[in-house]
Amino acid sequence: MSDLHLSPTMKRILLEACIITTVAFAFGLMVNYQMVMNSFAGKSVSTSVEKTADGNSTGGAVTDLLYPDPVDMEEIDDLLAEGALLVDARNNEDYKAGHLKSAISYPIGDAETKLEDFMQQVPKDRTLILYCNGFGCPDSFDLGVFLLNAGYQDVLAYEGGYPEWRDAGRPLEKGL
Amino acid sequence: MKEKLSAVIYHVSRLVLAGTFIYAGYIKGADPVAFAGQVANYQILPYAWNFVVAATLPYIEFLCGAMLLLNQRVRPAVLVLFGLNLIFMLLLSYTIARGLDIDCGCFNPDAESKTKPLHALWRDAGLMLLMISTWMLRYRQSLPEDRED
Repeated sequence: MSDLHLSPTMKRILLEACIITTVAFAFGLMVNYQMVMNSFAGKSVSTSVEKTADGNSTGGAVTDLLYPDPVDMEEIDDLLAEGALLVDARNNEDYKAGHLKSAISYPIGDAETKLEDFMQQVPKDRTLILYCNGFGCPDSFDLGVFLLNAGYQDVLAYEGGYPEWRDAGRPLEKGL
Repeated sequence: MKEKLSAVIYHVSRLVLAGTFIYAGYIKGADPVAFAGQVANYQILPYAWNFVVAATLPYIEFLCGAMLLLNQRVRPAVLVLFGLNLIFMLLLSYTIARGLDIDCGCFNPDAESKTKPLHALWRDAGLMLLMISTWMLRYRQSLPEDRED
Protein backbone atom coordinates (compact mmCIF):
# COMPACT_ATOMS: atom_id res chain seq x y z
CA MET A 1 0.00 0.00 0.00
CA SER A 2 1.38 3.39 -0.94
CA ASP A 3 1.57 6.19 1.61
CA LEU A 4 -0.68 9.18 1.21
CA HIS A 5 1.63 12.14 0.60
CA LEU A 6 0.29 15.40 1.92
CA SER A 7 2.20 18.64 1.97
CA PRO A 8 2.87 20.20 5.41
CA THR A 9 0.33 22.94 4.59
CA MET A 10 -2.38 20.41 3.76
CA LYS A 11 -1.59 18.43 6.91
CA ARG A 12 -1.92 21.61 8.95
CA ILE A 13 -5.26 22.45 7.30
CA LEU A 14 -6.60 18.96 7.99
CA LEU A 15 -5.45 19.12 11.61
CA GLU A 16 -7.07 22.52 12.11
CA ALA A 17 -10.28 21.32 10.46
CA CYS A 18 -10.37 18.38 12.90
CA ILE A 19 -9.78 20.74 15.84
CA ILE A 20 -12.58 23.11 14.72
CA THR A 21 -15.00 20.19 14.34
CA THR A 22 -14.04 18.65 17.68
CA VAL A 23 -14.29 21.92 19.61
CA ALA A 24 -17.70 22.80 18.12
CA PHE A 25 -18.98 19.23 18.60
CA ALA A 26 -17.90 19.18 22.25
CA PHE A 27 -19.35 22.63 22.90
CA GLY A 28 -22.68 21.65 21.31
CA LEU A 29 -22.85 18.49 23.40
CA MET A 30 -22.01 20.47 26.54
CA VAL A 31 -24.75 23.05 25.89
CA ASN A 32 -27.35 20.40 25.02
CA TYR A 33 -26.09 17.72 27.40
CA GLN A 34 -29.43 17.23 29.16
CA MET A 35 -31.41 16.97 25.92
CA VAL A 36 -29.04 14.36 24.48
CA MET A 37 -28.90 12.30 27.68
CA ASN A 38 -32.68 12.38 28.01
CA SER A 39 -33.13 11.27 24.40
CA PHE A 40 -30.92 8.21 25.01
CA ALA A 41 -32.66 7.48 28.33
CA GLY A 42 -36.14 7.69 26.77
CA LYS A 43 -37.05 10.71 28.88
CA SER A 44 -38.76 13.98 27.96
CA VAL A 45 -36.41 16.28 26.00
CA SER A 46 -38.50 19.46 26.07
CA THR A 47 -37.80 22.17 28.60
CA SER A 48 -40.48 24.61 27.45
CA VAL A 49 -42.95 23.75 30.20
CA GLU A 50 -41.34 22.85 33.50
CA LYS A 51 -43.19 21.74 36.56
CA THR A 52 -42.38 23.24 39.91
CA ALA A 53 -42.17 21.19 43.09
CA ASP A 54 -45.77 22.00 43.98
CA GLY A 55 -46.95 20.85 40.58
CA ASN A 56 -47.68 24.22 39.02
CA SER A 57 -46.54 24.85 35.47
CA THR A 58 -44.09 27.65 34.86
CA GLY A 59 -43.82 27.52 31.09
CA GLY A 60 -45.44 30.87 30.37
CA ALA A 61 -46.98 33.98 31.79
CA VAL A 62 -50.39 32.32 32.13
CA THR A 63 -50.24 30.11 35.19
CA ASP A 64 -53.91 29.25 35.73
CA LEU A 65 -54.09 26.94 32.68
CA LEU A 66 -54.03 23.19 33.12
CA TYR A 67 -51.14 21.37 31.47
CA PRO A 68 -50.63 17.65 30.84
CA ASP A 69 -47.81 16.08 32.85
CA PRO A 70 -44.90 14.63 30.87
CA VAL A 71 -44.46 10.86 30.89
CA ASP A 72 -41.41 8.83 29.84
CA MET A 73 -41.41 5.70 27.68
CA GLU A 74 -40.36 3.46 30.61
CA GLU A 75 -43.38 4.49 32.67
CA ILE A 76 -45.93 3.72 29.98
CA ASP A 77 -46.00 -0.07 30.37
CA ASP A 78 -46.92 0.22 34.06
CA LEU A 79 -49.56 2.86 33.34
CA LEU A 80 -51.12 0.70 30.61
CA ALA A 81 -51.20 -2.26 33.02
CA GLU A 82 -53.10 -0.03 35.44
CA GLY A 83 -55.69 0.78 32.75
CA ALA A 84 -54.37 3.91 31.05
CA LEU A 85 -55.45 4.66 27.48
CA LEU A 86 -53.06 5.61 24.68
CA VAL A 87 -54.38 8.44 22.52
CA ASP A 88 -52.80 9.31 19.15
CA ALA A 89 -53.14 13.05 18.47
CA ARG A 90 -51.75 12.88 14.90
CA ASN A 91 -53.86 13.04 11.77
CA ASN A 92 -55.73 9.99 10.43
CA GLU A 93 -53.19 9.25 7.69
CA ASP A 94 -50.31 9.02 10.14
CA TYR A 95 -52.42 6.89 12.48
CA LYS A 96 -53.32 4.48 9.65
CA ALA A 97 -49.68 4.20 8.58
CA GLY A 98 -48.69 3.08 12.07
CA HIS A 99 -49.46 3.76 15.70
CA LEU A 100 -48.67 2.50 19.18
CA LYS A 101 -50.40 -0.80 19.90
CA SER A 102 -53.89 -0.33 21.39
CA ALA A 103 -53.84 3.47 20.85
CA ILE A 104 -57.02 5.17 19.71
CA SER A 105 -57.04 8.01 17.20
CA TYR A 106 -58.04 11.49 18.30
CA PRO A 107 -56.53 14.02 15.87
CA ILE A 108 -56.00 17.48 17.32
CA GLY A 109 -57.76 18.90 14.24
CA ASP A 110 -60.96 17.08 15.30
CA ALA A 111 -60.69 18.00 18.98
CA GLU A 112 -64.01 19.87 19.09
CA THR A 113 -66.06 17.62 16.81
CA LYS A 114 -64.94 14.33 18.36
CA LEU A 115 -65.20 15.40 21.99
CA GLU A 116 -68.75 14.21 22.56
CA ASP A 117 -68.03 10.72 21.18
CA PHE A 118 -64.80 10.57 23.12
CA MET A 119 -66.51 11.52 26.38
CA GLN A 120 -69.14 8.84 25.87
CA GLN A 121 -66.50 6.18 25.39
CA VAL A 122 -63.86 7.24 27.90
CA PRO A 123 -64.64 8.04 31.56
CA LYS A 124 -63.16 11.25 32.91
CA ASP A 125 -61.17 9.51 35.62
CA ARG A 126 -59.28 7.27 33.21
CA THR A 127 -55.58 8.04 32.74
CA LEU A 128 -54.87 9.27 29.21
CA ILE A 129 -51.43 9.08 27.57
CA LEU A 130 -51.30 11.38 24.56
CA TYR A 131 -48.62 11.31 21.91
CA CYS A 132 -47.82 12.63 18.43
CA ASN A 133 -44.68 12.79 16.28
CA GLY A 134 -42.16 13.65 19.01
CA PHE A 135 -39.37 16.22 18.62
CA GLY A 136 -41.36 19.03 20.18
CA CYS A 137 -44.54 18.21 18.22
CA PRO A 138 -47.22 20.30 19.97
CA ASP A 139 -50.32 18.25 19.05
CA SER A 140 -50.33 15.91 22.06
CA PHE A 141 -49.66 18.80 24.42
CA ASP A 142 -52.43 20.94 22.88
CA LEU A 143 -54.89 18.04 22.94
CA GLY A 144 -53.90 17.44 26.57
CA VAL A 145 -54.73 21.02 27.50
CA PHE A 146 -58.05 20.69 25.66
CA LEU A 147 -59.00 17.44 27.43
CA LEU A 148 -57.99 18.77 30.85
CA ASN A 149 -60.24 21.74 30.27
CA ALA A 150 -62.99 19.34 29.16
CA GLY A 151 -62.84 17.73 32.60
CA TYR A 152 -60.36 14.86 32.25
CA GLN A 153 -58.33 14.63 35.42
CA ASP A 154 -55.26 12.55 34.60
CA VAL A 155 -53.80 13.53 31.24
CA LEU A 156 -50.18 12.76 30.38
CA ALA A 157 -48.13 13.74 27.33
CA TYR A 158 -45.60 11.23 26.01
CA GLU A 159 -43.19 13.54 24.27
CA GLY A 160 -40.98 10.98 22.51
CA GLY A 161 -44.11 9.93 20.66
CA TYR A 162 -44.32 7.58 17.70
CA PRO A 163 -40.67 7.94 16.51
CA GLU A 164 -39.12 7.06 19.86
CA TRP A 165 -41.53 4.16 20.42
CA ARG A 166 -40.89 2.78 16.90
CA ASP A 167 -37.10 3.11 17.12
CA ALA A 168 -37.11 1.39 20.53
CA GLY A 169 -38.74 -1.64 18.87
CA ARG A 170 -41.92 -1.34 20.93
CA PRO A 171 -45.17 -2.91 19.60
CA LEU A 172 -46.97 -1.08 16.79
CA GLU A 173 -50.15 -1.56 14.81
CA LYS A 174 -51.32 -0.38 11.39
CA GLY A 175 -54.71 0.63 10.05
CA LEU A 176 -57.77 1.95 11.81
CA MET B 1 -6.31 44.56 -11.85
CA LYS B 2 -6.58 40.77 -11.88
CA GLU B 3 -5.31 40.62 -8.30
CA LYS B 4 -7.89 43.16 -7.21
CA LEU B 5 -10.71 41.24 -8.86
CA SER B 6 -9.54 38.01 -7.17
CA ALA B 7 -9.50 39.77 -3.83
CA VAL B 8 -13.04 41.09 -4.32
CA ILE B 9 -14.38 37.68 -5.37
CA TYR B 10 -12.59 36.04 -2.45
CA HIS B 11 -13.98 38.44 0.15
CA VAL B 12 -17.50 38.36 -1.29
CA SER B 13 -17.52 34.53 -1.36
CA ARG B 14 -16.10 34.36 2.14
CA LEU B 15 -18.63 36.82 3.56
CA VAL B 16 -21.61 35.19 1.82
CA LEU B 17 -20.56 31.81 3.24
CA ALA B 18 -19.96 33.35 6.67
CA GLY B 19 -23.40 34.98 6.75
CA THR B 20 -25.11 31.84 5.50
CA PHE B 21 -23.56 29.49 8.05
CA ILE B 22 -23.69 31.87 11.01
CA TYR B 23 -27.41 32.33 10.34
CA ALA B 24 -28.00 28.60 9.75
CA GLY B 25 -26.11 27.65 12.91
CA TYR B 26 -27.80 30.28 15.05
CA ILE B 27 -31.38 29.59 13.93
CA LYS B 28 -31.03 25.81 14.29
CA GLY B 29 -29.08 25.99 17.54
CA ALA B 30 -31.84 28.11 19.08
CA ASP B 31 -34.37 25.26 18.80
CA PRO B 32 -32.47 21.95 18.83
CA VAL B 33 -35.57 19.83 19.55
CA ALA B 34 -37.37 21.09 16.44
CA PHE B 35 -34.17 20.68 14.42
CA ALA B 36 -33.88 17.09 15.69
CA GLY B 37 -37.34 16.52 14.23
CA GLN B 38 -36.16 17.75 10.86
CA VAL B 39 -33.11 15.49 11.01
CA ALA B 40 -35.45 12.62 11.88
CA ASN B 41 -37.52 13.34 8.76
CA TYR B 42 -34.63 11.97 6.68
CA GLN B 43 -35.24 8.59 8.37
CA ILE B 44 -31.55 7.75 8.47
CA LEU B 45 -30.61 7.75 12.14
CA PRO B 46 -32.07 5.99 15.21
CA TYR B 47 -34.23 8.22 17.42
CA ALA B 48 -31.66 9.50 19.96
CA TRP B 49 -28.91 10.11 17.38
CA ASN B 50 -31.07 12.75 15.72
CA PHE B 51 -30.64 14.74 18.93
CA VAL B 52 -26.85 14.31 18.84
CA VAL B 53 -26.77 15.78 15.33
CA ALA B 54 -29.16 18.57 16.34
CA ALA B 55 -27.04 19.35 19.41
CA THR B 56 -23.75 19.64 17.58
CA LEU B 57 -24.19 20.49 13.88
CA PRO B 58 -25.39 24.09 14.45
CA TYR B 59 -22.28 24.83 16.53
CA ILE B 60 -19.97 23.46 13.83
CA GLU B 61 -21.72 25.61 11.23
CA PHE B 62 -21.64 28.67 13.48
CA LEU B 63 -17.95 28.31 14.38
CA CYS B 64 -16.92 27.81 10.75
CA GLY B 65 -19.03 30.81 9.75
CA ALA B 66 -17.36 32.91 12.46
CA MET B 67 -13.90 31.83 11.24
CA LEU B 68 -14.80 32.93 7.72
CA LEU B 69 -16.20 36.23 8.97
CA LEU B 70 -13.00 36.94 10.91
CA ASN B 71 -10.87 35.80 7.94
CA GLN B 72 -9.06 33.38 10.23
CA ARG B 73 -8.35 29.69 9.52
CA VAL B 74 -10.35 30.12 6.33
CA ARG B 75 -9.29 26.99 4.51
CA PRO B 76 -9.79 24.64 7.50
CA ALA B 77 -13.25 26.16 8.01
CA VAL B 78 -14.08 25.81 4.31
CA LEU B 79 -12.85 22.20 4.37
CA VAL B 80 -15.21 21.36 7.25
CA LEU B 81 -18.16 23.08 5.54
CA PHE B 82 -17.31 21.40 2.24
CA GLY B 83 -17.40 17.99 3.93
CA LEU B 84 -20.71 18.74 5.65
CA ASN B 85 -22.21 20.10 2.45
CA LEU B 86 -21.10 17.04 0.50
CA ILE B 87 -22.72 14.71 3.05
CA PHE B 88 -25.85 16.85 2.98
CA MET B 89 -26.04 16.78 -0.81
CA LEU B 90 -25.72 12.99 -0.81
CA LEU B 91 -28.51 12.81 1.79
CA LEU B 92 -30.72 15.09 -0.27
CA SER B 93 -30.12 12.98 -3.38
CA TYR B 94 -31.01 9.84 -1.40
CA THR B 95 -34.14 11.60 -0.13
CA ILE B 96 -35.19 12.57 -3.66
CA ALA B 97 -34.55 9.00 -4.84
CA ARG B 98 -36.81 7.67 -2.08
CA GLY B 99 -39.51 10.19 -2.96
CA LEU B 100 -39.71 11.71 0.53
CA ASP B 101 -41.51 15.05 0.58
CA ILE B 102 -39.83 16.73 3.56
CA ASP B 103 -38.46 20.10 4.54
CA CYS B 104 -34.67 20.09 4.07
CA GLY B 105 -34.05 21.44 7.60
CA CYS B 106 -31.45 23.82 6.22
CA PHE B 107 -32.43 26.90 8.17
CA ASN B 108 -35.38 27.74 10.42
CA PRO B 109 -36.83 24.55 12.01
CA ASP B 110 -40.15 26.31 12.70
CA ALA B 111 -40.59 27.83 9.24
CA GLU B 112 -44.09 27.60 7.81
CA SER B 113 -42.93 27.06 4.23
CA LYS B 114 -40.98 23.96 3.27
CA THR B 115 -37.79 23.96 1.21
CA LYS B 116 -38.04 20.97 -1.10
CA PRO B 117 -34.99 18.65 -1.30
CA LEU B 118 -34.38 19.44 -5.00
CA HIS B 119 -34.39 23.18 -4.29
CA ALA B 120 -31.99 22.64 -1.39
CA LEU B 121 -29.74 20.55 -3.60
CA TRP B 122 -29.36 23.39 -6.11
CA ARG B 123 -28.69 25.86 -3.32
CA ASP B 124 -26.01 23.58 -1.89
CA ALA B 125 -24.41 23.28 -5.31
CA GLY B 126 -24.13 27.08 -5.33
CA LEU B 127 -22.57 27.04 -1.87
CA MET B 128 -20.08 24.44 -3.07
CA LEU B 129 -18.97 26.81 -5.84
CA LEU B 130 -18.48 29.58 -3.30
CA MET B 131 -16.46 27.21 -1.11
CA ILE B 132 -14.25 26.19 -4.00
CA SER B 133 -13.63 29.80 -5.02
CA THR B 134 -12.90 30.78 -1.40
CA TRP B 135 -10.47 27.88 -1.04
CA MET B 136 -8.64 28.61 -4.27
CA LEU B 137 -8.53 32.38 -3.93
CA ARG B 138 -7.40 32.11 -0.30
CA TYR B 139 -4.24 30.58 -1.74
CA ARG B 140 -3.51 33.82 -3.55
CA GLN B 141 -4.27 35.87 -0.45
CA SER B 142 -2.01 33.78 1.80
CA LEU B 143 1.56 34.59 2.71
CA PRO B 144 4.26 33.05 0.49
CA GLU B 145 5.54 30.83 3.32
CA ASP B 146 2.04 29.35 3.73
CA ARG B 147 1.79 28.37 0.10
CA GLU B 148 2.44 24.87 -1.05
CA ASP B 149 5.32 24.17 -3.39
